[in-house]
Amino acid sequence: MTSPSNPLPSSSPAGAPNRDGSKSPEHERLLPDPDRLAPEDAYFAPALSRVRSAPTNYEESLRSLNGDNASHIGSAAALRKKLGAPRRRKRKGAWKKLLWVKQSYPDNYTDTETFLDHLQRNPRVRPYDFWPLVADSTVIVQHVCSVVIFVCCFVGIVQDRVSPVSIVCWGSVGTAVGWILWDNWIWKEHEESQKEVDRTAGADDGSSSTSFASVAEASANDIHNDDTKINAIHGLGLSMSGNEPKEQLARRSADFSDTLDTDGLQTEQHASFPVPSNPLTGSTGSTDTTMLHDTYDTFRGSMLSPRNRQRLTTVKSALLIYLSLLGLSPILKSLTKSTASDSIWAMSCWLLIMNIFSFDYGSGEGAGATTKFPASLSTNAAVMASTVLASRLPSTTHVFSLMLFSMEVFGLFPIFRRQLRQKSWTGHVVLTLTLVIVAGGAVGVTLSGGWAAAIIGSVLGSILTAFVMGGCSWWLISLQKYKNVVIGPWDPARPIIRRHWN
Amino acid sequence: MPYNIASVLPLHKSRSLANKLLVWSVTSSFLNQVRCLVFEFHLTKLTLLGGIESHIYQLSSKLIDRGHKVIVITHAYKGRTGVRYLTNGLKIYHVPFFVIYRETTFPTVFSFFPIFRNIVIRENIDIVHGHASLSSFCGEAILHARTMGLRTVFTDHSLFGFADAASILTNKLLKFTLSDVDHAICVSHTCKENTVLRASLDPLMVSVIPNAVVAENFCPLSHTTTRAPDQALSSPTDPPMSPRIIGPDDPITIVVISRLFYNKGTDLLIASIPRILASNPNTRFIIAGSGPKAIDLEQMLERNVLQDKVELLGSVRHEEVRDVMVRGDIYLHPSLTEAFGTVIVEAASCGLYVVCTRVGGIPEVLPQHMTTFAKPEEDDIVLATSKAIAALRSNKVRTDRFHDQVKMMYSWRDVAARTERVYEGIIGDISPEEFYGYYPGQGWDASGDRVRSFALVDRLKRYYGCGVWAGKLFCLCVVIDFLIYVFLEMWFPRANIDIARSWPRKPPARKSLDNQ
Repeated sequence: MTSPSNPLPSSSPAGAPNRDGSKSPEHERLLPDPDRLAPEDAYFAPALSRVRSAPTNYEESLRSLNGDNASHIGSAAALRKKLGAPRRRKRKGAWKKLLWVKQSYPDNYTDTETFLDHLQRNPRVRPYDFWPLVADSTVIVQHVCSVVIFVCCFVGIVQDRVSPVSIVCWGSVGTAVGWILWDNWIWKEHEESQKEVDRTAGADDGSSSTSFASVAEASANDIHNDDTKINAIHGLGLSMSGNEPKEQLARRSADFSDTLDTDGLQTEQHASFPVPSNPLTGSTGSTDTTMLHDTYDTFRGSMLSPRNRQRLTTVKSALLIYLSLLGLSPILKSLTKSTASDSIWAMSCWLLIMNIFSFDYGSGEGAGATTKFPASLSTNAAVMASTVLASRLPSTTHVFSLMLFSMEVFGLFPIFRRQLRQKSWTGHVVLTLTLVIVAGGAVGVTLSGGWAAAIIGSVLGSILTAFVMGGCSWWLISLQKYKNVVIGPWDPARPIIRRHWN
Repeated sequence: MPYNIASVLPLHKSRSLANKLLVWSVTSSFLNQVRCLVFEFHLTKLTLLGGIESHIYQLSSKLIDRGHKVIVITHAYKGRTGVRYLTNGLKIYHVPFFVIYRETTFPTVFSFFPIFRNIVIRENIDIVHGHASLSSFCGEAILHARTMGLRTVFTDHSLFGFADAASILTNKLLKFTLSDVDHAICVSHTCKENTVLRASLDPLMVSVIPNAVVAENFCPLSHTTTRAPDQALSSPTDPPMSPRIIGPDDPITIVVISRLFYNKGTDLLIASIPRILASNPNTRFIIAGSGPKAIDLEQMLERNVLQDKVELLGSVRHEEVRDVMVRGDIYLHPSLTEAFGTVIVEAASCGLYVVCTRVGGIPEVLPQHMTTFAKPEEDDIVLATSKAIAALRSNKVRTDRFHDQVKMMYSWRDVAARTERVYEGIIGDISPEEFYGYYPGQGWDASGDRVRSFALVDRLKRYYGCGVWAGKLFCLCVVIDFLIYVFLEMWFPRANIDIARSWPRKPPARKSLDNQ
């Protein structure tokens, strides 16, 4: 008999027909490709069904062996029979998947009842549905469209068809509108979660540390929401002005903590929530800072509402970025002037492709959402692409406009899109449609110019996008049948650790 | 009927055990001697838990006791070259090899063939037994041995997943090695399932033979006295020493001996230690071992100010492991993957109650009354350890009996006997019907693929099935190997190779064993 799970050609001529013959319909469905490693074969193939009935037959053969010890002195069964008295009793019993028991079965005995019984195939695979998949692909479409729009704007600026100032004005207006919306959502959510927390905490607002401690204890979910949200707030600040706001926050909260009872607050905090004691290290550090800041805000709410404080910080960051860009523009303009234009085109192409491929399309939920927010490689690639492109522009104003526009498109717009998708699905779809139409139109205008070209471009672009979305989704679904994830007890376990010490 | 046994040895540094083991055994059936070849043998470098070297050494010497001839082939090291003899006449060839990095050799595939052929002919080898799955040495030796018409056995000590790129490459390599092997040996049933899946083997061609421990080297403290000859005489009549009574306030020491790596579960350990210590007063930890996670461990101790409750010993030599173990009452083993877990057997042999994660082959290793199992989760480990401490405090666990029980369960003599049966089976001393199971009336087909024919065409067929591209590449390797073999036979004829004299053999212990 050939090996049931052996896909070698020498075995398949004999094995394949048997296997096909004995396959149950369900089995057939699970095993689309007979050449693939198919662990169930160990269960179903005829070669092993013989083994399944083995124990009874084996008893007979063993008995005959035992009656004739001298001639089979080397056989393990005979040998083991002599080594241990309790074995005679055990021999009646079924084979056990244990190593410490000496069993009467030979070492290569394969028990069909238990062999591979912990094996799982595709355990966590959830079949994709067409429409949800198409819906999810809108995230990619949105990003690709924004990159396309950015490139078209650049081409327009370089060819002197569009004024850079008008582009950056429109971009800034869009950003401002987006920020107002975003600000609304964030604080609404914040207030809700705050209310919830107060409810669970028994509305003890007298001391910020107490309320914080009860937050930590009240419900892990709340903390998670709170964290994500605070990080989101903070993330915006970071993406706008680098380290500056973080340090400001840290400084402010430190000052505040000094005036308050620093020791009491920190002890309380560390007792209930073991975050690192150093507030300025890494991402958790910033969480810590923002938390302090948060408590600070609730405490000092009477002086200036936390919402306005946050707004003030954001405006400050925006101003800072605006001014530093303005100052940097002359330098950026001549930064890569000595490089040949061909190299610049090639480089920016690769950088933008890198941006598209490394972009974090996740929803911002689940593990790692806070750490990868937003994927820095992607953002850096985009900023570098716009930097090298900027050096092809004729004046400082051009450079400044393009850089600011790229910050808006690659730095802020993704945050807004992510938030919009969580908040309102309709808004998300409308935004996608708008982006597709605008991108198509922009490509049309860039290629041949004129309103007619823009309309044709929009129509063609929309149709093409729809086809690509549908086609790729269908393709991905059709590829699912090749999925063959095999997991079992041999895989390293994933440790579940409640608290993180680093 | 004397057998030849081969043992294999990996050269194993302080890194993953699984990576570099090979054993080659060779028997000469016509001489009725057993020869074993071991690869990558480096006894002086036995490191902490260097399971595979000691595996090969112990197995080889027990096989020699049973009348086989065993030689070990391994790499040459700095300061360790040429041919050496160990206790019992175990002969080790340190083959010069082009070393790339840290004793990892470059997979030259064919360059090793001439010297291998010379050794095999010189020593009258019948069976080549390779250990470990990652060493290219082992795969090459099995390939060459098959080309030369020798039977081959492969022992797998490790578990591999199927998901990541490294595993895919490793599994291809394993498939190449095992496509033409006569029999495979795995150290646990989980390991067997894994190997069968990875290499698409017939499950009946894979035997499960666990590791063993030298129980004498892992005695509990109380046992040291019974070694004295006067006590040894009286001990059979005396009632066994009364168990140590642990009062509710007596200190309990938890021992952890493990390299501090991610896959050894050091993160779980770090997370649970403070909680275990907090919920169980009068508890101490002794942690031996080193590794990249040591820094995290130390940080945790400093952050929680636990230095007086947790003793860090750093890395410990293998022979000192017992001395560390006997200082404790509980052995905690939070590993995330383990093919066998020799160390928990050693701990139980030292009379420690074992708390371990239910992963890999670990659940098969020890009986229920010696262990508390936990899921690989922080909460569960804390819970299981607390349960174990409570069980010890209530004196429900007779840890004083563990040593004798473990001695009954695992011995190298047993391992050698079972390995010997594998050799008999592939050499043909046991009929295939008996070896692979005899099922009257089931149409047993002895000409099936289990008895691997040496014909080149049959071998090519087996290799061809390894994959669309890999199959063709493997076939190319086999054909070239065969041509090299033909060339070597012409240029260095067998007749010109001297036959090495065997080590004078002790009277085989086998007969007396059988008569017991």
